[in-house]
Amino acid sequence: MSNLLDKFLSREEGSASRNFLLSAVWWSLWGMGAGLFAAMEFSNPDLVHNIPQFSMPHLRMWHVNAVAIGWLSMGYVSSIFYMVPNLCKTKLYSERLGNFTMWAWNLVMVAAMGTLLNGNTEGREYAELGAILDVLVVIALCSVTFNIVMTVAHRKVQKLYVSLWYFLGSLFWFPLVYIIGQRTFVALPGLNDAIVGWFYGHNILGMWFTTVGVGMMYYLIPRFTQAPLYSHGLSMLGFWGIALFYAPTGTHHITQSPVPEWLKAIAIISSIFLLVPVLTVLTNFFMTMKGKWQMVVTDLPLRFAATSCIFYLITCTQGPFQATRWVNWYLHFTQWVVGHAHLALLGTFSFILTSAIYYMLPRLTGREWQSQGLIRAHYWLKFLGFGLMMTSLTIAGLVQSAGWAMGIPVDQWVITLVPYWFLRSISGVMIVTGQCLFAYNIYQTLFGAASAPESPPKGKLKEVAA
Amino acid sequence: MNGYGYRLGAIGIVTTFFIIIFSTVLMPMVIFKPKTTTSANDYTVENKTGDPIRGRRIYIREGCFYCHTQFTRLQDREYGPLVKAGDFNYETPHQLGTERTGPDLTNEGNKYSAEWQKAHLIQPRALKPGSIMPSFSYLSEHDMNDLVVYLQTLGNKREVKAYVQPPDEYLPTTLTGQELLKNKHVNTSGDAEANAGRGIYTQDCAGCHGLDGRGNGPNSISLTKKPSNFTRPFFKQYSDEMWFYRISEGVVGTRMPRWNLTLSEEQRWYLVAYLKTLQKDVEETVDDLSQVNKPEQIKLPKLSNQQYEPHHGGH
Repeated sequence: MSNLLDKFLSREEGSASRNFLLSAVWWSLWGMGAGLFAAMEFSNPDLVHNIPQFSMPHLRMWHVNAVAIGWLSMGYVSSIFYMVPNLCKTKLYSERLGNFTMWAWNLVMVAAMGTLLNGNTEGREYAELGAILDVLVVIALCSVTFNIVMTVAHRKVQKLYVSLWYFLGSLFWFPLVYIIGQRTFVALPGLNDAIVGWFYGHNILGMWFTTVGVGMMYYLIPRFTQAPLYSHGLSMLGFWGIALFYAPTGTHHITQSPVPEWLKAIAIISSIFLLVPVLTVLTNFFMTMKGKWQMVVTDLPLRFAATSCIFYLITCTQGPFQATRWVNWYLHFTQWVVGHAHLALLGTFSFILTSAIYYMLPRLTGREWQSQGLIRAHYWLKFLGFGLMMTSLTIAGLVQSAGWAMGIPVDQWVITLVPYWFLRSISGVMIVTGQCLFAYNIYQTLFGAASAPESPPKGKLKEVAA
Repeated sequence: MNGYGYRLGAIGIVTTFFIIIFSTVLMPMVIFKPKTTTSANDYTVENKTGDPIRGRRIYIREGCFYCHTQFTRLQDREYGPLVKAGDFNYETPHQLGTERTGPDLTNEGNKYSAEWQKAHLIQPRALKPGSIMPSFSYLSEHDMNDLVVYLQTLGNKREVKAYVQPPDEYLPTTLTGQELLKNKHVNTSGDAEANAGRGIYTQDCAGCHGLDGRGNGPNSISLTKKPSNFTRPFFKQYSDEMWFYRISEGVVGTRMPRWNLTLSEEQRWYLVAYLKTLQKDVEETVDDLSQVNKPEQIKLPKLSNQQYEPHHGGH
């Protein structure tokens, strides 16, 4: 019995982080694959027939949930479980609780796949999961928060590095945002439902993906470049700026609907103010990178991280610009916005998570990456694939914008979008291939014949002093 | 660096964070309570038929809101009346939508017949060539009927008070519009004027719109976007200015040209007078190729080279 317990709820150091990491990569294949499948149905709507599970809207629900809650969030928890004990120079408070959370989270994902593909949804964008799954997610999030708070409470260093601020902040407010945003057990009238819905829809990005992602950048970039962080003062300004300005921005998603004008005004103003923390954070990274940019040629994880920072700059200059009334008047309802969302989640946060995985896995398992060539291939497939996706979605969005603005009936310009749907499918193939190579590389590293199980990490992948 | 300063700032900002959540999430729930409008459909109470409520659940289950929005904006001219805040009071969860791959569905109800909607759900491309909507042929008969009933309720209670209007520069509310009216010397309700317009129509419009205005001119076969059928009762609500605007500026995205480049203002007013006479109480539809006006064979006399070029040579 205790053997079985040790196997499934292991107490081994780093096991929770490693298991979360592997689960994240596993779900990324499903999530990105579903995205590719849905993209192919855009260019060939009769690709599958009479199979409700493969209908485009069902695939879209599963795609969003699999990449957001499966790939990104599980990867984030893995990074938090690895980085927080390292920053506190202590062990994770409870590996067993961590592993329990991992199983609960995977259960949520399996159930989500079963329900969403069959259309069992609450019908709220980004909050599709059913009531039981919502409760499970909250339990999982709270146990992660408890685990991390207890780890920090037992820390061996007095000072809290800025990444810890970001992680603790995110783990404090994300369960809150999730509980408010799900609206599982309340029935608000239409527009109030939309207001709360977009508070959640935007803050799952702003108060979870952004804040944990930026925390990871703060952890990784000084380590990759072996340079001290440029300014701790700026990092604090950036943290509190995000905490202050992100929360009320949600209503900018519905600026043209009949919700109160004062709410729209607050949302738009704080969206523009978001430039302050974003530029603060990026100044800090770019000044830390100063004089070290040549390192991206040889250091592949750093290359992922630096790319992520540059995408972050682009996405966060796009954001406030799109939130302003006139630009929103023109660009809303189009694929431009879909491109923007992918720029944030795929371009920025998926890249920084990939960078973190390349950094963490050798340190968690003591095995070196099997193939540097596969890492290179992964980078270029993902980078070029994403560039193609962004370009095609942006152009498609501009065509659609012109159509809506001029009041031309949809059936007249829908055929002009065919080349862009096709290009997006190609980009999807590239990204999914990259991710498969990534998964293959991980598999070979962990279980491949050539990987020596006992060999200690060598070369530049030095173990961080525990 | 002293930690105390940070702590004070941190407390301040955490307080602000909660104030923000209070003011942008809780406060709207309390103070933003729009009065339910007459155009709102109640989907919360099961009524006797129960169909549209179930249809709405199927609309949600099939994820229609990922590609179809349900709120009209000022610039969405072709999607009917604007929405009001109170229209959404019974909509939980809201189906406003955030991205349009297909058209807005705010006022979809009764735009097409129920048979059309059902056929379109089964195979969209049969009715809308080039559409990328997935086929929902896997829905059961029961589901499909309820979904169509729901679609037919969308916007069915919205009363149309303002009809299709031309841009401001054609209306007497602006200086250019007043100038236009000042130069209008044609009585657009007169029979003689309509007769004059018929000549222009036969020459310039009948090629596409057909001799009797049913949109069945010989060119209509090759056009993807079919020419308007002027016998539709819909056109009865067109004002003179709207007709004039359509003739003058053409229709963007179709082969309808800008006639202000070819016809004088006076000719266009004559044309308006004629077009206003074409509407019928029931639309005369063209559903057979044999009903399309065929171009008449033009019989040219056989010409010799000399006759063909009569001024050739040294006359």
